[in-house]
Amino acid sequence: MSSTTSSSPTPTKSSAFDAFNSTLVRLGRAVGGVVNVLYQAGRDTIETVIRNILPFMAFISVIVGIVNKTGIGDALADLVAPLASSLPGLLAISVFCAIPILSPILGPGAVIAQIVGVLLGTRIAAGDIPPQYALPALFAIDPQVGCDFIPVGLALGDAEPETVEVGVPAVLFSRLITGPLSVVIAYFASFGLYSTSS
Amino acid sequence: MPFAQVAILATTEPTVDEPTGFFGALASGAEWFIGLFQEGASFFTALVVGIIPLLIVLLTAVNALIRLIGPERIEQFGAAAARPGIMWYPVRYLVLPVLAVFFLTNPMAYTMGRFLPERYKPAFYDSAVSFVHPITGLFPHANSGELFVYLGIAAGVTSLGFGLGDLAIRYLLVGMVVILMRGILTEFITARLMGRRQRNTTEEVPA
Repeated sequence: MSSTTSSSPTPTKSSAFDAFNSTLVRLGRAVGGVVNVLYQAGRDTIETVIRNILPFMAFISVIVGIVNKTGIGDALADLVAPLASSLPGLLAISVFCAIPILSPILGPGAVIAQIVGVLLGTRIAAGDIPPQYALPALFAIDPQVGCDFIPVGLALGDAEPETVEVGVPAVLFSRLITGPLSVVIAYFASFGLYSTSS
Repeated sequence: MPFAQVAILATTEPTVDEPTGFFGALASGAEWFIGLFQEGASFFTALVVGIIPLLIVLLTAVNALIRLIGPERIEQFGAAAARPGIMWYPVRYLVLPVLAVFFLTNPMAYTMGRFLPERYKPAFYDSAVSFVHPITGLFPHANSGELFVYLGIAAGVTSLGFGLGDLAIRYLLVGMVVILMRGILTEFITARLMGRRQRNTTEEVPA
C-alpha cells in the first residue's frame, strides 16, 4: 500500500492522486464500518450473555441441584416420565398448560416451561424418557407461550383496545385446540429421530 | 512406596469416629446442605462450559448480520402481508412472523403487527409469539432470555451422545407448521368473536 502511494503521486497528476486518495478513504470507511458492526455485535452479545443467559443458568442450577440431591427429582420423574413418554400423556400435559385460566399464569418469562424443559432433559439423560420424545415434549410443555403477554404484545402492534378485548380470549381459546394439535404434529414429525441407534 | 505404607498405616490406625449425637447430626446436616449446592455447581459448570462459548460466537455472527442488513428493511414487507385472500395466509402467518422474530427478536417482533388491519392482529401476535421458542434451536439470538425450553431438553439428548442438528431442524420446521395453523385458527376465532360483539352492540342500540 505505502509503496503505491509513494510511486503514483506526481505533482502534475494531482487529479489521479485525488481519485486514488478518495478510493482509499472510502475503502477505509467500509472496512471500518464492518469492523465496527462486528465489534458492536460482540458487545451486544456479551451484554445479553451477562444480563439474560448467565442469571438464568445460575437460577436453573440452584433448582436442579436441590431437586436432584433431595430426591424430589426421582419422585417427579416417577410422576412425569410415564406422562412424557407416551402420546396421550404428552397430550394431557399440553391440554393442562393450555387451559385458558392456567395459561396466562404459567406464561411469564417462560420460566415454568424452562424449568420443566430442564427437568425433562435430565430425565432423558437418565434414560427414563426415550430421546425421540424430545420433539413432541418441546411442544407439550409450551402451548402457553406468550399467553401472559397478549395485551402488551398487541399494544406493541398498535392494536385498538377493542381488538385487545377480542384478541385475548381468541388467542387463549385457539391454544386449547392448537396446543394438543402441535403435539400430535410433532409426534408424527419425530418418527426416525434418534430411533436407529437407541 | 512410602505413600502406600502410610496409607496402610492409616487404615490400620483407629480412624476418627463418625461424629455422633447433636454435633454429629449438625455436621452431617451441614454436609448434606452444602451438597445441594455442589450438585448445582457442577450443573452450572456443565452449562457454562458446554453452551456459552458456542453461543457467544453464534450470537455475535447473527447480530452482525442483522446490523448489516438493517431491520428496517422488513418493514416494507409487513405492508404487503396485510392483503386479503387465501394466498396471503402463509405470508402473514409464516413468512412475516419468521422474519420478524429473526430480525427484530423477542419483544420487538410484535411491533410488525402495526402494518396489519385490526382483525389480523391477534392472529399475527399468536403466530409470532409461538415461534420465539422453535427458533432458538438454530438461532438463539432471537430469544436469548428463554433458551432453556429448548436447551434443557437438548442437554438431555446430548448427554446420551446424540447430535442436536436433527432435533433443532425438526423443532424449527414443526414450529413453522404450528404457527401457520395457529395464525389461521386464531384469525377465524377472532372474526367470530368480533362478529358476535358487533351483533350485540347493534341489538343494544335500538333497545
